[in-house]
Amino acid sequence: MFVNKPDRLNGFTLIEVILALALTTLLLGLLSTGVYIVAEDWNRNTDVLDESLDEALVVLQVDRALHGVLAHSYTNLQTLSRQIYFIGEDDELSFVSTVSPQREAGLTAWNLSNDAEGVYVKLVPAYADNPQERLDDSEGTLLLPNYSVEFRYLYEDAAESHQWIDEWRGEELQQLPFAIYVRFEPDDNDDEVLEIVAPIKAYRHRQITPNSGRIQSL
Amino acid sequence: MTKPEQHKRRSQGFTLLEVIVALAITGFILGSLFTLVAGSKQVTWRAEDSLLRATRIRAATNFALLHNEFDEVEEILVNDDYRIEALERVEPPARKTQPQIMALQNYQIVNDERQEQYTASRWIQLYVRE
Repeated sequence: MFVNKPDRLNGFTLIEVILALALTTLLLGLLSTGVYIVAEDWNRNTDVLDESLDEALVVLQVDRALHGVLAHSYTNLQTLSRQIYFIGEDDELSFVSTVSPQREAGLTAWNLSNDAEGVYVKLVPAYADNPQERLDDSEGTLLLPNYSVEFRYLYEDAAESHQWIDEWRGEELQQLPFAIYVRFEPDDNDDEVLEIVAPIKAYRHRQITPNSGRIQSL
Repeated sequence: MTKPEQHKRRSQGFTLLEVIVALAITGFILGSLFTLVAGSKQVTWRAEDSLLRATRIRAATNFALLHNEFDEVEEILVNDDYRIEALERVEPPARKTQPQIMALQNYQIVNDERQEQYTASRWIQLYVRE
């Protein structure tokens, strides 16, 4: 009895050590998986949040830019007439706004268009000339990935009823639309449609007498 | 003589109580970790949702305010979560120095699902159309 006891008390048996290690690994494993899952999920959530925050900011920025649309005019060098720069189609819009995203002084020419990857924006400073050429040369930035954009323009017909039309050419109409409607449509159905309505204040509908340049030169 | 006695007692393994306490602590830590996950998910969803609603209310308000200048505008908004309802006109002033051509009208933007209501006023034209 007395000889045996000290033997058993000298340390742990192999089985005990293995069991203890196994238990420790199990617990540590559980804990670290837990921590890993939490960290991953946190990352994913912040990414999702970042994306939707980006979307909201894009909508707000475009909204502000459209609210600040200006009847920017330039001289057409062929006909010497003053023309308003505003080219609106149903899937592309070029305009000049008093709002610039970089908070630069002066006017900015905007171009919003569709591409395979999403909605692209081009921005160039607007000077006294036609900004079209500089817009064409400039590099676009992906504004909203996996969305496509559609535009409508508020038009008042002779009977004073107001309809949304899908084309507005500033150089022919010599006037801005009364309001602009933008719809960002998501490529997959999980995302939500984003919409903007931007009224253009009456004092901005500066009308230009057509071909005043030619009349003056006569 | 007392030492071997103690050793003998301690080296027989974990007691049930110890195992339970260890498991409880692990469970507690794991539980709090997963609460964090659920919490961050909820915060994300709520934030996303409120950003989306803000853009919708903005679009609805801008559409309602088109009536400041025009009396009949073709409907265009796809999303109908936020309905625009015209309410009664604001009382005209008792004494007028000029004939009125515009009047203030209350309107509200209603979301039935969330039971939200935003009331504001806008100008409307008073002339009669043939």
